Amino acid sequence: MAKAKEETSVFDVNKVRELIELMEEHDLNEVDLKQSDQRIRLRRGGEMTVAPPVVRTAAPVSPTPAAPAAAAPAPAADDNHDLILSPTIGTYYSRPKPTAKDFVKVGDKVTPDTIVCLVEAMKMFNEIPAGVSGTIVEILVNSEDAVHVDMPLFRISKN
Amino acid sequence: MYNRILIANRGEIALRIIRACKEMGIETVAVYSRADKGSAYLDLADQAFCIGGERASDSYLKIDRIISAAEIGNAEAIHPGFGFLSENAQFNEVCRDCNIDFIGPSPEAMQMLGDKNTARSLARKADVPVVPGSVGLVTDADQAVKDAREIGYPILVKATAGGGGKGMRVAENEADLKNAVEQAAQEAQAAFGNGGVYLEKFINRPRHVEVQVLADQHGNVVHLWERDCSTQRRHQKLIEESPAPTLPPEKREEICAAAVRMVKAADYSNAGTVEFIVDKDHNFYFIEVNARIQVEHPVSEMVTGIDLIQQQIRVAAGEKLAFSQADIQCKGVAMECRINAEDPDKNFQPCPGVIKQIHIPGGMGVRWESHVHAGYSVLPYYDSMIGKLIVYQPTRTQAIATMIRSLKELRIEGIKTTADFLVKVLQCEDFKNNKIDTKWVERDFLSQK
Repeated sequence: MAKAKEETSVFDVNKVRELIELMEEHDLNEVDLKQSDQRIRLRRGGEMTVAPPVVRTAAPVSPTPAAPAAAAPAPAADDNHDLILSPTIGTYYSRPKPTAKDFVKVGDKVTPDTIVCLVEAMKMFNEIPAGVSGTIVEILVNSEDAVHVDMPLFRISKN
Repeated sequence: MYNRILIANRGEIALRIIRACKEMGIETVAVYSRADKGSAYLDLADQAFCIGGERASDSYLKIDRIISAAEIGNAEAIHPGFGFLSENAQFNEVCRDCNIDFIGPSPEAMQMLGDKNTARSLARKADVPVVPGSVGLVTDADQAVKDAREIGYPILVKATAGGGGKGMRVAENEADLKNAVEQAAQEAQAAFGNGGVYLEKFINRPRHVEVQVLADQHGNVVHLWERDCSTQRRHQKLIEESPAPTLPPEKREEICAAAVRMVKAADYSNAGTVEFIVDKDHNFYFIEVNARIQVEHPVSEMVTGIDLIQQQIRVAAGEKLAFSQADIQCKGVAMECRINAEDPDKNFQPCPGVIKQIHIPGGMGVRWESHVHAGYSVLPYYDSMIGKLIVYQPTRTQAIATMIRSLKELRIEGIKTTADFLVKVLQCEDFKNNKIDTKWVERDFLSQK
């Protein structure tokens, strides 16, 4: 009896193991694979690395050989959602001080002036306003994460 | 030795520094503006942070963001490259205050040498010849006239806070002097926020010769011989070479020794360049010190075999120089051409655009230093230099031949560059026979076409 064609689902354990080995062999930090509506993202290394942002300019990088070292998928702004991006670089804090409550949580409504977080740069704390109106549907960073310019912090659903 | 260094720069020099760090096992943190997002060289850094908008003032010049990037990136030191904040004493001090090593001289040495007039005074003290000129800034019109008579016309009026050829005017005679002083002061005030000017004797048809120096933090100072950068257009260097082809051997020794004296007098550490102007009798006069690594540093690297960026890092980390002056020989001839995204047929107008294809020359004695690649977008926000082509051969004749050959081999499609123009300069008899001076390109070469 002919052997059935091998399943090559991205979630096959052997396939995942193969991918991990390939990553180590080729010194890749991140692999992001999609198969129809399924997706797997493997990230190597314990350190927090800042996800390379999605390229928006008209500057395509030259064809690199080998693997699909894709950018970590930045959550998309679309017709129903906005993203609040960090205007500066530093350490993100979700609350005004350690003993206080978070500035905002999922489900909160915000207006452009609502302070949503702090980003600390050089011991100076910058209050970051929402800049848009809507409801917070997703908080994309954790307190004390390193953030940089244009990094998405919050996903807002437009009112 | 450092575990991690942040590179406060972009493009070609950022790539150069990343490479040096990788070879030393040092991790790198890169910063980039929105305009530089997606540049391939950023992938070579261990971490890369966006620090702001396209304009340098909104990104590469933002001290707080750069320091912040160093903090969140855990960088112990910052290499400033050239341009941007590399000669900013305030940035240097901020680094020190934040316990981050600045890879360069101390803020004090940088401050002292950054003021041209103070640097000239220091040169006099160090027995380094300076261009005959006024002892201080011009404060009084009558004194200026007296000084000018003593110095001798033509007189060059120069801004003390100046650079890049701005805030300079030539007065051919006493009648021109008052206007020249006023105009130079006005331009200097606008460009540098400091209208102070001083007078210098205008040297006719000078050559520009500079000395590469390197000093550690233990008092050891060496030179890596000299470079001749006389091929310029509007005070911008086009071609640099080492050794200086017109200086007799004893003058080379003298000018290099003078540079070392200057550096010692300023208590300077790390890499730097002492610039001189040379007249047709080979008399050299101190102009200024560039307290940073320079664009044309690869030229000195080729003739001495010393990696200057790695040396900068070692010195900053507190290491003693591993060699003495006697160990540093100048062998062969190295030459560099700066490749700019400019259209020579349209008065060197900058040519931003996407590089569709690039073919990089190779072969014996060819070194290409550039961050660009096929698909790279050359942007209008930064200077127009997209790469440096360096050649190294046993003789100057061979170096010129290799440079011409590799410039012709270099093909960049999608934007205009100065490569073909440089070929024509190199083919000129005046260039080959060392008849050029710092104004030759504008005065003789371009007027022929």
